[in-house]
Amino acid sequence: MSQTPIQAKPGFANQSDAARTAFWEGAREVLVVVPSYVPFAVVCGVASVNAGFSLSAALALPALVFGGSSQAVLAQFAQNAASLWVAVLSGLVVNLRMAIYGAAMAPRLRHLSVPRRMLAAAFLVDNSFAFVQKRALDRPRDAHLLSYYAGISVVLWPAWVGFCAVGVLAGNVVPASWQLDFAIPLSFIAMCAITVRTLPLLASALVGGAASMLLFDLPLKLGLIAACLIGMLAGLAAEKLQARARGRT
Amino acid sequence: MTAWQSWSVVLGLALGTFLIRYSFIGLFARREIPPWLEHGLRFMVPAIFAAIVASGVAMGSGHVAGPEQWPRYAAALVALAVALKTRGHMIWTVVLGMVALHALPWLARVFQSWL
Repeated sequence: MSQTPIQAKPGFANQSDAARTAFWEGAREVLVVVPSYVPFAVVCGVASVNAGFSLSAALALPALVFGGSSQAVLAQFAQNAASLWVAVLSGLVVNLRMAIYGAAMAPRLRHLSVPRRMLAAAFLVDNSFAFVQKRALDRPRDAHLLSYYAGISVVLWPAWVGFCAVGVLAGNVVPASWQLDFAIPLSFIAMCAITVRTLPLLASALVGGAASMLLFDLPLKLGLIAACLIGMLAGLAAEKLQARARGRT
Repeated sequence: MTAWQSWSVVLGLALGTFLIRYSFIGLFARREIPPWLEHGLRFMVPAIFAAIVASGVAMGSGHVAGPEQWPRYAAALVALAVALKTRGHMIWTVVLGMVALHALPWLARVFQSWL
């Protein structure tokens, strides 16, 4: 943080400069996960064509939904036109985790107007939330967290929509052997390493991870959200145990 | 699927997803998050992140990746070591994890040809 001694309105110029810096930091830092978008987005685009979506709907899907797993699930289930409602419902269940991201973001969005709050909600995805959480942990009380979030979104959304369009229009273009999509779980390993700071948090991560594997085949893709709740319960239980153990000593 | 059907499916998912995203943001715009929920949230976030890791590493192809896919697990361990060492540095974690994913099986083949 640099301090400029000569300033007519203290803080004002600094303020917007700092916001701009945060915006560009977000845009720059998130670039590392953009390549991991390519294979998954292309696959999602190809899948929506194969599922029989009209061209315009296949192009609109990533732009309006902006959630890869739910798009893949939608395409997978929509192939059977008799179960279109199941397709939509499964996609929504996959996205339920975003409500949890919303709850965590809510206090940070309170000062915004309703339209801006809605705009912020529309761009909430795993990666943007994870980056914002990381920044919030690294820099508590950062006044420009939302500028950082805007910088992230301004990169992620066009990238996602563009790569999906490539899949829709050009088909499979990335060799599967590159396994670029493996970068997605890798980036979340980094996120886990910083969010897991206590033993109860470790318990919720381990149990949540194990549960997501065991419950992978749950109908309507309920596994992820169920794993999240089970992990939370494990964390709360671990906290209780820890408190009791401390009380005893 | 007809054009009408595909657009209604897309719009259904889009609208529903927006409502999911906005639900708690709208609900807690004017009131405080109840303490029990805020407390629970702290444990939900690592659980989701770990679930994304576990299903992404071990369930990449829809079922549990077996021993023949050991590079996925090895690369994840490399990434975990890097993440712990660098306090969650995104670039190093992702890049070295990807390098491990491709370099480890290659090294294993080289060693095998020596034996």
